[in-house]
Order: sequence, then C-alpha cells, then structure tokens
Amino acid sequence: MAESITTTAAPAPSGSRAAVATLKNTFQMQNWVLAGLFFAACFVFPLLPFVEGWMVFQGAFIIIYIMAAQGVSILTGYTGLVTVGHGAFLAIGAYTAALLMKYTGLSVIPGMIAGGLVSAVFGLALGLVFLRLAGAFMAIGTLGFAFFIGAIVNNVPIFEGRTGISLPPNTVFGFEIDDFGFYYVALVTLALTTLFVHSLIRSGVGRAFKALRDSDKAAESSGVNRLLYRTLAFSISAFITGVAGALNGLIVNYISAEVYGDIWYSVDLLVAAVVGGSAMLFGPFLGGFFVAMVPFYLEELADFAFILKGVALIAVLVLAPAGVAEVVARPVRAWRQRKLLEAGESPELADAPGPPTGGGS
Amino acid sequence: MLGQLLMSGLAAGSLYALTAVAVVVVFRNTRTINLAQGDFAMMGAFLALIFIKSLGLSYLFALGLSVVCIMALGVLTERLVMRPIADSGWLTLFTATLGVYYILHGVSGWLWGRDTKAFPVTFDPTPIHFLGTVVSEGHLINMAWVTAIGALLYSFFRYTKQGIAMRAVTDDPETAQLMGIPVRFIVMLTWAMAGFLGAFAGILAAPIIYVAPEMMDEVLIKGYVAAVFGGLYSIPGAILGAILIGVAENLAGGYLGAHFKTAIAFVMIVILLAFRPQGLIGIQKRREV
Amino acid sequence: MTHLRCEGITVRFGGVMACDNVSIEVPEGKIVGLIGPNGAGKTTLFNVLSRFQEYESGHITYRDQNVDRKKPHEMIRLGMARTFQNLNLFGEQSTLDNILIGAHRHLGNPLANMFSLPGARRNEAALVDKALAVADMLHLNHQLDKPVKSLSYGWRKRVELARALAADPEMILLDEPVAGCNDEAAAELEEIVRHVNRNLGVTMLLVEHDMSMVMKVCDYIYVINFGANLADGTPAEVQENADVIAAYLGEPTQ
Repeated sequence: MAESITTTAAPAPSGSRAAVATLKNTFQMQNWVLAGLFFAACFVFPLLPFVEGWMVFQGAFIIIYIMAAQGVSILTGYTGLVTVGHGAFLAIGAYTAALLMKYTGLSVIPGMIAGGLVSAVFGLALGLVFLRLAGAFMAIGTLGFAFFIGAIVNNVPIFEGRTGISLPPNTVFGFEIDDFGFYYVALVTLALTTLFVHSLIRSGVGRAFKALRDSDKAAESSGVNRLLYRTLAFSISAFITGVAGALNGLIVNYISAEVYGDIWYSVDLLVAAVVGGSAMLFGPFLGGFFVAMVPFYLEELADFAFILKGVALIAVLVLAPAGVAEVVARPVRAWRQRKLLEAGESPELADAPGPPTGGGS
Repeated sequence: MLGQLLMSGLAAGSLYALTAVAVVVVFRNTRTINLAQGDFAMMGAFLALIFIKSLGLSYLFALGLSVVCIMALGVLTERLVMRPIADSGWLTLFTATLGVYYILHGVSGWLWGRDTKAFPVTFDPTPIHFLGTVVSEGHLINMAWVTAIGALLYSFFRYTKQGIAMRAVTDDPETAQLMGIPVRFIVMLTWAMAGFLGAFAGILAAPIIYVAPEMMDEVLIKGYVAAVFGGLYSIPGAILGAILIGVAENLAGGYLGAHFKTAIAFVMIVILLAFRPQGLIGIQKRREV
Repeated sequence: MTHLRCEGITVRFGGVMACDNVSIEVPEGKIVGLIGPNGAGKTTLFNVLSRFQEYESGHITYRDQNVDRKKPHEMIRLGMARTFQNLNLFGEQSTLDNILIGAHRHLGNPLANMFSLPGARRNEAALVDKALAVADMLHLNHQLDKPVKSLSYGWRKRVELARALAADPEMILLDEPVAGCNDEAAAELEEIVRHVNRNLGVTMLLVEHDMSMVMKVCDYIYVINFGANLADGTPAEVQENADVIAAYLGEPTQ
C-alpha cells in the first residue's frame, strides 16, 4: 500500500465515489420531500373544516417559538455556546418593531426585518463582549444581559413599562391582516429562516461553527478566526430570534414589560433548544412545539403542570440527552450510514489508489 | 448615609452568601450550576414553618429537622436526577437542575399554595442602633449565623477527612479516584452540603422576606452572580462576591434611584465578565494544547 | 533559504522554565526533527511556534516576516499548518468534514458562503474536490463518511494529517505523527511524510519519539533538554553527540 502513494497516474473517476454521491443526493431529496410535506400540511391546516380561530392563533404562536428556538440553536447546537438570555433578543425585536410601527407607521414585514437587524447588532456586541466566555460563565453573562434588557424596558419611559404599547392592526403590502393572515406571514417567515439555517449549517461557515464547538484549538489551527465566527454566530442567532420577537409582539398588537421584562422567555427558549435537540434542523420544531404548548395546559393544571414540566424535562434529558430529534432521527441515520458504507465499499474499485495531490492549488 | 447603606448592603449580602457558597460547592465537584438551590432553601423554609406552626416544635429543633430533611432532598436530587446523566454535557446538567426547580416549585405550590406566608419572627423587630447605623436584629443574627457557618465550612474543608477528600475531587476527579477516594460518595456529600446550606439560607431569609414558592428566585440569581464574581471555585470568593453585590445594590439604590437597585448586579456581572472571563479572583488556567 | 526561525524563546510556567532561550532554524523544503526527553519543552515550543502559547522573550520569523504578534488562525494564512500530539479532531463529525475544515483557509467571503451564493457554491465544490484528493493520497477513501470517533487510532492520525494538508500548507509542524501507531501504520505514515516533503515541497518540523523514524526522515535535528538547546546537527552527528546520549540515558548534563 505504501508504494502506491508515489503513484502519479491520474485516477479514473471512482465508481464507488459516484455511488456514494448518488446516494447522498437521494437522502437529500428525501429530506426535502419530508420538509415540503410538513410545510404543506402547515399551509393547509387553517383551511381544514374542524380548525377554529384560536387554533390558528395558537399555531402562529408555535411557529414563532420554533423560530426563536432556531435562533438559540445556532449558538447552543452548532457553535457550542450556552445562552440563557435569548429572551432579550426576543424583546429587542419586539420593541423595535412596535416602536417603529407606533412612531413611523411601519408595517409587519419591514418591522420584522428591522427587529431582526437591531437584535443582530446587539448580538454582535454581546458576542464581542463575551468573546472568551464558556459554560457557566457564559450562562450567567447572557442571563445578566437578559435581566439588564428587562430592567431597561421596565424603567426607560419610551418603552412604557408595564402599561405597555398598544398597536394598530397589522398590515402587509397595504392590506390589513387578521390572525389567519398573520399565521401565513409567520409560516412563510419560518420557511425562509429554516431554509437559511439549512444552508448555513451545510456551508463552510457552519463548518467553522461546528469546528469551534468541537475543538477551538483545532479550529484555530485550521485558520478559523474565533472572534469573527463567534460574533457572526451571535449576530445570526440574535437576528432570527429578533424576527421571531417582532412577530411575537405584532400578533397581539400589544407589548409590555410585563411580558418582556422577565427572563422566562429566555429560560423557555433554552429549554426548547435542549429538549428538541439543537444540533439538528428539526430539533427546534419539536422543542418550540413543546414549550409553546405547555403553558397552554398550564392554566388548567396550575402547580401540577409545573411538576409535569419538570418531570418531562428531566425525562427527556435522561432518555434523550441530545434532544428528542436525535432519538427520532437515530434509526434513519443508522440506516443511511449503513447504505453509504455499503456504497463506499463497492467491490470493483475498493482498492483504487488515489493521486498524490493535496499541495499547490 | 454611606455607613447605613454599607450596613444594609452587608445584611443583604449575607442573605446571598449562603446560596453563593452552595452554588460554588456544587459547581466545584460536579461542574453543574444548581438552579434548584433556591428551591432547596424555599423547601427548607416551608418545612420549618410547618414544624413550628403545625407541630409546635421549638425554633431550633424545627431548624435542625428541616436542615436534615433538605440534606436528604439534596441527596435525592443527586441519586434520582443528576447521577443518571452525570456523563452528559454541561448544558444537559444545567437544564436538569432547571427541571428540579420546576418540580420543587410545583410541589410547594401544590401542597402549600401560592400565597405568601409570614414566618414567625424570633427576634425583636424594632430596629436597633449598631455602629452608628440602624439595623434590624434579624439581620445581625443572620450575619452571625453566616459567619458561624463560614467557620464551620472552613474547618470542615481543612480538618476533616471528608472535607479534604472533597477538595481533592475538586482539584482532579480522576486522580482522586485513583487515590482511592470514593468520588461518587463525595459527590453525594456535595449535594447534601448544598441541602444543608440551602435549608439555612431559606430559614434565615424567611423572617425577613416571606415564605412562598418563589421566595428565593431573586436570591438564587444574585447568589449565582456572586459565585461567578468570586470565580466559581472559591468559597471566600463567593462570600466576598455576595457582600459586594449586596453593598453595590444598596449604594445604587441609595444614590442612583430604586430602579437601579435590581439591575446593578447584572450590569456589574456583564462588565466583569467582559474584562475578566474567569471572575474577579478566578483561577487563570494554563491553556493546554 | 530559512523558512522558519525562532531566536531566544523563553516561556515560564510559574517557576518552571518550559523554554529557556531556545533557538531553532528550519530551512525551506527540509524536514527538521525536534527531539528531547519527555518534558523537555518540545510541545511548548510547538505551541509557541503555532502561536497558541505566549512567550516572555524571543522572536519568531516566518520567511523573514516577524510573526511574534500573530494569532493561531493567522499562521495558516501564511502557510503554516500543524497537527496535535494527542489528536484534536472533531469526533462526532465525519472524516470528510474534518478534512474540509483544514481547507477553511480557502473559504473566501464568509457572507457569500453562508448564503450559498453561486460563486461560493463553486468554491465549495472546489474545496470538496481538494479534500477528496487529500483523502485519496492518505488512503482515507473508505473512511470519508464515518464519524471520526469510530476510526482506529492510526486512521485518526491520518485524518489529522489530512486536515493539515487540506490547507495547501507550505510548512507543517508535526507533533508525534506516528506515536501510538503499530509498525505497519507507522511505516506508511513515514512514507507519506517523505512523499509530502519531496513531491509537494512542504517544509516540515517534526517532533517524534520514534528515533528510527526521526533518523530516517530528518535532514537536520535539534535536541532540547530542560527547555534549552542541547545540540543540533545531521542525524549522524546527533547520534554520536555525548551530551545527547547522556540526556537520553537520564544522566544530568553539564
């Protein structure tokens, strides 16, 4: 085998490699079809005969939670940074959109974008400030940031504290929309953010995030600039959660410090990311659904629901430490892995030597 | 006015100190931030209240009994929740303690209701003059208790076999294991100590605040901040951090206005971590490549 | 021409001198060995040269450019890659992804890459081709889709080398490339190291305990002991140096 290293003949395209590539394409197609079916089902949902108005409203809330959890997952799942402060970005997004709507009459879509952008700027700053933090220190730092933002919306007059800001009805492209319309705005936004996250985690940037997560030394020795990629991860994460925040405020046409001045959003979003599994694309979907639905039943069950929530959380952590999504996907992954290995070792070209390249491009 | 603010700060700081120390003790040996620490305290206060009100026990007896119960609760938490996932990542452990937080909140609310209850006051409620400042006797008693517990911890870690073993586990769990230290037992002991400190924190705070499921939420967060201030590995650091935060809060409340009182701890922690990621007196670990 | 030079490097951990006024010089296109007993400061010096470790005094020049103030991620842009003694791979990720990170230097604009713009896509495809070519060279073809943690130690050593090579480096710092490998795997890796040096013209600085490999592949050898330069010369010279023999036999020197 050692002699083959010095072989300089250009290799014929490897048959096994082509087979692997075809298989990977097939798997990717399957993923696209599944995601397409899911979004089609969400699209049809409000049109079904038995679906009532409150269900559509609740559906929009779940979508918003999923989106916010997607933002958290960029940090916790792909970059390996804990955040217990994403409620702050939700608040920043919500207040940006609300204040712009109140004072400049901006409508939903520009409000959403503005909310995301302002939130991203704060994310960038936080990423810079906490550049060297990890673990428990990062957790308290982000939590402190959430409390800090909470104190600001409670006390600075423009945010109108616990009285809150009431907003006019929402419009999109000049048309007034109700809950029904808002559901579709949220759904389309979620589809876009999902596409973006999908593209991000498969890109070289996503690779750099994951490299920092798994070993920052190895990442840096390969040329990954920690400062750049950490702040980038923070900004992207804050942007997505900020967009969700804008929607979260606009859907009820009202925001107040009663809701955003507390840290419970922050904690819920972390729980959503952990329970769903934040290193997989559909993890936040499961986690977001979980935390959006629990308070729904919380009112009836009161304290007992707290116990259920805690038990459910611990049960998930014990049974599925990498999140529910990982458990759901495990058999599929194992099957695909097996198929790939079979294809990769197709007998006719198993020992084909490779070219001695790798230097000078 | 400054002296008064410092004294009030010291009083508030001593309320945070026990929680901060408990956060440090658990973190050092398990790498977990125990978010249920405040609830250990709350359960301790509730139990003491029941022992005193319903069973008619004396204050000290109720305190002792409650401390034992909460130590058992700490051990239970370790055995039932933390041990099965001990090998998981940091975030999993962190979130699991949040689960315990939810459960204990739910249990206490379910059993005893969400309304706030008064704790029987064992001291003379009229403020007394002390070193030129006005302070309640309760706060002075608390400070004395905290000092006594601090001394107790110091001698425990210094002179007892278990205390020394606990420090060895902190320094290097693997070597400790090789040296024949029963690491699992030590981790259990760590959680028992968290219960011990929790029960005291709750019972000492109860007469000053009130008794309710959420009574310790703020103290928990401030205790966590204080622990991080001290670098998360140092008990004196945690106590210092707690006093610093108590004093800073009162100074901010006194000179800047009441709004700033709650926010100041978080402003301080964000600024501190920006410049010293390892905490105020944290250990700068050598970067191993 | 000198590729990498360090002069008078001193590093102190508390009271311990990890590097005491160490100077070495690596000529372009050569394989230079760095040997010494355990704890002599070899890895510390490696960390200094790859800029992971700060130092009290001394200077490093890479191709006549002073790199004292460079950060680790900037060294690869100058053309210097490194491997780690105890392996520093992304265990959960596939072999291909591990190698691809090595090519990070050629990523281009991260924003374009993030949104998968057409140019970035072409670039990405080129990166994958490069990674596959490197994998071919190291015979990693059949390991590409396996998570690295499932590979044997010898294979993981190769993945680590492949990651360094994917950057198209002009120089590689190799920290014990064959440690923990069986004889067969070690012989293959040795062959690969020679091949990369001869056919691709990559300069190498090599720390290795396997003396037979060091003596065979190195053009020049530096010996350090107690953090300080002890001797240097061709393999033959070093083998006959009395100080070196004493150091390896555990005798106190000087």
